[in-house]
Amino acid sequence: MPDRPRTYKTEGVILRRRNIGEADSIFTVFSEDLGKFDAIAKGVRKARSHMRGHLEPLTRSRFLIAQGRSLDVFTQAETIAPYRAVREDLDRSAEAIYCAELVDRLTGERQEHSDVYRLLLDELDALEAGHALHVTRLFEVRLLSILGFELQVEGCAACGGRLAEQDHLLAPAAGGLVCPACRGGSGGGRLISPRGIKVLRFARDASMEQFAGLRIDPELGRELHLALADVIRAVLEREVNAGRFVDQVARLPASRSLTGEHVQ
Amino acid sequence: MADAPGMPEPISRLIEAFHRLPGIGPKSAQRLSYHVLRMPEDQAAALATAIMDVKRRIVLCSICMNITETDPCRYCQDSRRDRTVVCVVEQALDILAMERTGFRGLYHVLHGVLNPMDGIGPEEIRVRELVERLKSGEVKEIIMATNPSLEGEATAMYVQRLVGPAGVRVTRLARGLPSGADLEYTDDVTLARAIEGRQEI
Repeated sequence: MPDRPRTYKTEGVILRRRNIGEADSIFTVFSEDLGKFDAIAKGVRKARSHMRGHLEPLTRSRFLIAQGRSLDVFTQAETIAPYRAVREDLDRSAEAIYCAELVDRLTGERQEHSDVYRLLLDELDALEAGHALHVTRLFEVRLLSILGFELQVEGCAACGGRLAEQDHLLAPAAGGLVCPACRGGSGGGRLISPRGIKVLRFARDASMEQFAGLRIDPELGRELHLALADVIRAVLEREVNAGRFVDQVARLPASRSLTGEHVQ
Repeated sequence: MADAPGMPEPISRLIEAFHRLPGIGPKSAQRLSYHVLRMPEDQAAALATAIMDVKRRIVLCSICMNITETDPCRYCQDSRRDRTVVCVVEQALDILAMERTGFRGLYHVLHGVLNPMDGIGPEEIRVRELVERLKSGEVKEIIMATNPSLEGEATAMYVQRLVGPAGVRVTRLARGLPSGADLEYTDDVTLARAIEGRQEI
């Protein structure tokens, strides 16, 4: 290839790693200015690799990358934030891995989304700071909204009518809450309590910190977790693998019970 | 590529078979196949037998899940070993590395690590067998020797949470600088742990 070698700099979060051959790995990065892309790190699994620790999944790093013929190649990497507290706590790791998988599955290759990047950093920062695990609910609501799947939680998603203060169905097919009259043709969903609806509305524009400060009891946490998981499953038309892991971790002894997940 | 016109069927089948191996591309597969074709027959037969023996004679140790010809494996049978300490590793090859250190306890091979994004959960690796093993009460300590990666750490923490209440001591291999490392290139987490784990000289 007569093409001149070109390099570029960017910063991003490592979403995942796939090992290739003897010592190489391909990393999926979500970058501030380039969106999601794959690049290969040669020899990164050797003990003396200079880049190894800077390319761990869930690390925020700065990269120097050389354009390759098919895959771009990492030439330098330096950690900005290692998110150590996240990776040393199983519950926080599980939440972070889940969010990374959502970003990976919901965004397209090389589509710039600095707002998604910002949101991902907010989530990781919140988990690192030790905030309540329910911050992931805000992450889900906002990610859906940025990517064009905004939940309709103000009026009925089917008829636009006002929603009385009572339980309402969150119907993934309708894209939001539906009033009792529209329930029949909504394709099913999960009932959300008035408190749950308030939390969903608050999640639309609250800051991570404000949202983390909400008192969400186990029952409400579970209600919102399951309802949003339904919506995401409908959007992706598949399960989120790491979602299963979050639930498995929640069932472990010496942890929150299953009903107690995502609670302060 | 294997079905090039005029290629005798046995060769194209061998090329196909080599091509399925990790790290073997279409060209390497062709080269290996033609090499086998030119081999003396006894060499080729030895290769074929070796492959079949691996499949037929190797089993998993019913105690530690190590790959072995005898069940229990030689480590589990060895009465001179410390039976109160179990070193938990990702793959059977890691046992060889641990043996070189002079460690003389028992092992448990997980055959993988948790990889939540790829759907590898606790049911996909040999965690349940480890928990079963602890029920006899003989084991007092588990050394988690999974890799110091996101997945390895998650696996170690998962096992710790799972067996912690059973009163077994769960430890983790120390993390720090490998021999021959450069401080300036070392990542923050490794360096921070190296400082925490510093030792008087």
